Amino acid sequence: MNDILKHTIRFFILASIQILVLNNVQISGYINPFVYILFIMLLPPKMPKAIVLILAFIMGFTIDVFSDSYGIHSSATVLLAFFRPKVLALVSVKGGEDLEAIGMKQLRINRFFTYSGILCLIHHFTLFYLEAFRLNEFFDTFLRALYSSVISISMMILIESLFSNQKSR
Amino acid sequence: MRNLFAFFYRYHVFFVFMLLEITAIGMLIQTHHYQYSRFASSSNSWSGQILEQFNNVTDYFSLKKTNRLLAEENALIRNRSLQLPTLEENIYKNQHQYISAKIIKNSYNKRNNYLTINKGSMHGIENGMGVITDAGVVGITRDVSPNYATVMSLLNKNTIISTRFIKSNHFGELIWDGKSHQFAQLKSVEKYVPVNVGDSLVTNSFSNIFPEGIPLGTVNRFERDENKNFYTSIEVALSVDFSNLNYIYVLKDKLKDERMKLESKNE
Repeated sequence: MNDILKHTIRFFILASIQILVLNNVQISGYINPFVYILFIMLLPPKMPKAIVLILAFIMGFTIDVFSDSYGIHSSATVLLAFFRPKVLALVSVKGGEDLEAIGMKQLRINRFFTYSGILCLIHHFTLFYLEAFRLNEFFDTFLRALYSSVISISMMILIESLFSNQKSR
Repeated sequence: MRNLFAFFYRYHVFFVFMLLEITAIGMLIQTHHYQYSRFASSSNSWSGQILEQFNNVTDYFSLKKTNRLLAEENALIRNRSLQLPTLEENIYKNQHQYISAKIIKNSYNKRNNYLTINKGSMHGIENGMGVITDAGVVGITRDVSPNYATVMSLLNKNTIISTRFIKSNHFGELIWDGKSHQFAQLKSVEKYVPVNVGDSLVTNSFSNIFPEGIPLGTVNRFERDENKNFYTSIEVALSVDFSNLNYIYVLKDKLKDERMKLESKNE
């Protein structure tokens, strides 16, 4: 399948899942999973970094508009996109230059877990602290971010493993 | 000059990053700027339409419950209409016009929650109007477009509602600490005020957003420290169930301009 088409479809699917389903889900009052960041994580490693940043902004802004969060998602997602090449360098030999695409198939589960885990924690902690915007709720916000990250990472790995299995068959 | 271009080219990723990050943080800080936030919120017409379409589908799942609640409210209103109000009461009651609206986007699990309703400036809704259900206070309208409006929920760190105890008439401020959508916190209650578990709280007439006497909740738990002038914490069980909201009323205060004009003379 055409690469651009594939990523465009993934953008719309993940944004819809986030806006229509996950924004309405409440898990024990604390937890908000955000899986739309999988779109940025799975962009090709050879894509120019500036383009990745701009796509991250577009994705974050879309989520912002639909959840009335006024720039919180945009800034957290752009920060994630900025750290993406650095984290990619951690989990691959030549900084990702040798990889054609990023996914469970290319990185295997343990490296993909590290990759998505670090990026997800960066994104979620930025997001929840920007949302709270005050330090006297430091501990509550910390727990919210941590629990939500655990759920988000599990959901992203689940989605990605289903997706990559289908392709290899 | 070539060096300058080379410099920009070399660090262009960082510059793009800074530019986007500053734009995003700028949006966050400027949220009180009316024109801008209106564009980037779910009250704008296309995002409002998408949310409304989705809500049309999910609505069917709660029809039964909604019907029951509306029937209960009908019965209540019927009973009330039997007791004719006095003339003085009538003027006071007519001060507020109720505009009914449907919630097309509900949110109660974030630190700052906003709802979206399917009525806007075309139906007479303006920025800063009170939003209630028959159970009690829901929030305050914020951004308004011709057909939609967003509501800053009571479950938001920027919402402060001034209240009074029904029993003792003492004043307090209701805020939300972000933990549970069932409980809010009451602040600024001085320690000599008698507080009991189960005491009811209603809106007072200090602000010009809500009329007097709209229910907010009941005291669930409180703590007192003899060395401090105020109660250390009072937890209030909210009377509105934010996880199950469908129809709300927006309150239009017909005498708001008159009151604001009068009060601005003192400043």
